[in-house]
Amino acid sequence: MSDDMDIKDKAAWDAAERVADYEHGWSSDIETDFAPKGLTEDTVRFISAKKNEPEWMLEWRLKAFASWKTMTPPDWAKLNVPPIDYQDAYYYAEPKAKPKLGSLDEVDPEILRIYEKLGIPIAEQKLLAGVEGGEDGGLPQRRVAVDAVFDSVSVATTFRAELERAGVIFRSISEAIKEYPELVRKWLGKIVPMHDNYFATLNCAVFSDGTFVYIPEGVRCPMELSTYFRINAENTGQFERTLIIADRGSYVSYLEGCTAPMRDENQLHAAVVELVALDDAEIKYSTVQNWYPGDAEGKGGIYNFVTKRALCQGRNSKVSWTQVETGSAVTWKYPSCVLNGENSVGEFYSVAVTNNYQQADTGTKMIHNGKGSRSTIVSKGISAGHSNNTYRGLVRVAPNAEGVRNFTQCDSLLLGSLSGAHTVPYIEVRNPSAQIEHEATTSKISDDQMFYAMARGLNTEEAVTLIVNGFAKEVLQQLPMEFAVEAQKLLGISLEGSVG
Amino acid sequence: MPAPTRHDEAWRYSDIAAVAAAWPLPAPENIIVPAGGHYARTIVQDSGAIHQIDIAIGKGATAAIHVLNIGGEYGRIELNVTLHEGADFKLGGVQIGGNAQTLEIITTVTHAEPKATSSQIVRSVLAGTAIGTYLGKVAVARNAQLTDSVQSVKAMLLDRSATANAKPELEIYADDVKCAHGCAIGELDPMGLFYLQARGLSPADAKKLMLQAFVAGVFEGAEHEEMLIEAALQKLGELV
Amino acid sequence: MLQITNLHANVGDKPILKGLTLSLNAGEIHAIMGPNGAGKSTLGYVLSGRPGYEVTEGEVTFNGQNLLDLEPHERAAAGLFLGFQYPVEIPGVSNVQFLREALNAQRKNRGEAPLSGAEFLKVAREQATALGMDMEMLKRPVNVGFSGGEKKRNEMVQMGIIDPALAILDETDSGLDIDALRIVGDGINRIMRKPDKAVLLITHYQRLLDYVKPDFVHVLADGRITRSGGPELALELERDGYKELAA
Repeated sequence: MSDDMDIKDKAAWDAAERVADYEHGWSSDIETDFAPKGLTEDTVRFISAKKNEPEWMLEWRLKAFASWKTMTPPDWAKLNVPPIDYQDAYYYAEPKAKPKLGSLDEVDPEILRIYEKLGIPIAEQKLLAGVEGGEDGGLPQRRVAVDAVFDSVSVATTFRAELERAGVIFRSISEAIKEYPELVRKWLGKIVPMHDNYFATLNCAVFSDGTFVYIPEGVRCPMELSTYFRINAENTGQFERTLIIADRGSYVSYLEGCTAPMRDENQLHAAVVELVALDDAEIKYSTVQNWYPGDAEGKGGIYNFVTKRALCQGRNSKVSWTQVETGSAVTWKYPSCVLNGENSVGEFYSVAVTNNYQQADTGTKMIHNGKGSRSTIVSKGISAGHSNNTYRGLVRVAPNAEGVRNFTQCDSLLLGSLSGAHTVPYIEVRNPSAQIEHEATTSKISDDQMFYAMARGLNTEEAVTLIVNGFAKEVLQQLPMEFAVEAQKLLGISLEGSVG
Repeated sequence: MPAPTRHDEAWRYSDIAAVAAAWPLPAPENIIVPAGGHYARTIVQDSGAIHQIDIAIGKGATAAIHVLNIGGEYGRIELNVTLHEGADFKLGGVQIGGNAQTLEIITTVTHAEPKATSSQIVRSVLAGTAIGTYLGKVAVARNAQLTDSVQSVKAMLLDRSATANAKPELEIYADDVKCAHGCAIGELDPMGLFYLQARGLSPADAKKLMLQAFVAGVFEGAEHEEMLIEAALQKLGELV
Repeated sequence: MLQITNLHANVGDKPILKGLTLSLNAGEIHAIMGPNGAGKSTLGYVLSGRPGYEVTEGEVTFNGQNLLDLEPHERAAAGLFLGFQYPVEIPGVSNVQFLREALNAQRKNRGEAPLSGAEFLKVAREQATALGMDMEMLKRPVNVGFSGGEKKRNEMVQMGIIDPALAILDETDSGLDIDALRIVGDGINRIMRKPDKAVLLITHYQRLLDYVKPDFVHVLADGRITRSGGPELALELERDGYKELAA
């Protein structure tokens, strides 16, 4: 391997010091082990070998890679993305001081410091103290189990022992492939098929790590589970894969957060998330996506091409997606629900903020196959600067799905006259008993609102933040509490400089 | 130009074989409404035709189009409307299909300049294995401030094998605009049907009366209002 | 006229009526009172044939005919009128058109000639005037934009036009102020207080009974008639509440 092995991100680090717009824009001096640059069959073999994967996994990856080479990227989104040179990137980056998984003491202290700086608690004792101490007499601090994915590898999963007592499996997907091959094989690629789309297929070939969760029958997961993704290394794509299986009658709330350093070049993030909910199971999946959005001139930023899908397979199963999308230069993402189960429920709550030259094309698909299945879609798009923000959605009702209900609300808020706000809903209904309702509105912050807020003493940016948070309230209140606070702050930060 | 496929957005739900058979289509009809002028048009598609009309509505001018799409195996009415400053465009559209009909109304309404207003009301009733589609795009150009646009799309399915598709699309590049879209697909209100029956109407008559109410308002104020309503009722009568 | 025997009915899977027996003769006005959830509205819906209200046991005959065999519109043609607690809004259908179609459908069912537009309007105007309703309201879509009181008054206008043999009036007094209550009460007396007609008043309160004097009062609790008596029973209920009497 080349000099890149010893990469030091001084330039980017300095840039981060200079520009404070993007709160998580600093990168870190972590010695990193890369796969050779570019993407060939050998890259795929390298990743698989690095992970000591079983033969079936390698074969699966190679099959995906072979198909990917014949595919073309989707062109239907309202996105203007220059062609991506897939050979000019690294597909695997691993922190060199290799942590022994499961033992926090041995995680590189520098990585722990990075997560600390991001405000992510991966030290269990700190959280435990919060619970047991309860000195301030308030509610015990909520405990969150964390899987920290740093570039291409999971560096730590916490609270493993306690979760295991409840029967919950919370692992990096690399470990799960080795420890629970039957469970993984049963569902991997079953919700998002290998050939689903260009980016999903690419992910199948080169995914490096991610999270695996299994909640056994009847278990309510004793704490919230979360994964924090961090792209640190330069020129590196992150391709994580998440698989969550909620067995009959179980419940889990899962949080996902993402950040990346500021860099001048674009970095690719192509994740796949698969969820399965069996009879009476419920999964609540919350995302705060704050990848680096690029600078005010539109230089740099993450290309975020993500495929997220849930299979509500069981009777009365429920999956609720909540997302707050403030980051990335380009977002292409449609967390969806395939509602096969009778009386199953799908929900999609989204706030997407775009500023400067960001582009977002995001929404959901609700595929109603099950009788009595219901879905709710609430999308709030906020466009500022020169950005473009598109809601794209599909509600489909199959001929045999009696008594389906869907309600969709799409609201756009425009800040300034240089941005764009678009709504592209597809509605396809083949059963007469369905009741489908779609409403869309477009508005701006009125001068009266601004004046009123400012007359009460708020400055311009505080007033905008206040009004935008009000606009997005229906979605924000779906988030677990600590996430909601973070998200509200983020909305304000993302819109800085957009009005005035 | 080759015949369109399902990958072409404007033809994604079309009867592609019927389109191919009619291809190439003649150039769209071109209508220019001069500044301050008024234009009204009634289209009854009852023979399986493809209508393509481009309409430019000049400053302060108005245009009202009423459409009844009921005939043939495949019927398509496609309107491309451009609004200049302060212009107004109104569409009232009804499509009623049964058997294996494929009927569609496609509109692209572009607010190219400020202060224009537009409204589209479209109602579809579908029985048998009919497919009814409304693709309705409203585009607001960068400087078209004070645009006011409303769209109301409703569809009613009478049989399990019928299909309703809708795409009420917005593309907005100006911030001081009012755009409200609503779309609802469902069945006749069962409580309303019961109410009518409790007053003595047979189930079929109750259904017909409710459907009549569902479509009739669309043609209010149309130049040939009575003819349109009569033709719509006759077609409804064939389906119920 | 109406004979209900051991009527059991479910809404969904839930049993609501559990063995209700009641008999109405021509010329009589009966009031059914009872606490919320006793099954009062269910009785009205079952008698008029609302889908989803399933009779599991028992019999109902109306002028010797098996009522439960008939479709809702056939029951209407047979002379049964349900005054809805929540009259349904039907956008796009004018009151006049609706009533004329309904009346003529009933007449046709009975083998009578349909009324002409002019004949119908004459009847409609008479009834609207008697109930203090503006003719303009008759031209508006059915119940759309009507206040609660206007909807109830509209029900009475409909009853006057249709002129049924048996009226089942479900909480017709709810949502009415004192003046409207008197107008509606007078309407019921005028239209229905006749030797060949009967009324079943379903109500929670005694106040409508100040205007429409019932011949019989029944207490409906937990799906059965638990007590019957004369008008004095209504006053007793008003004074003591349902708890004492329901058991």
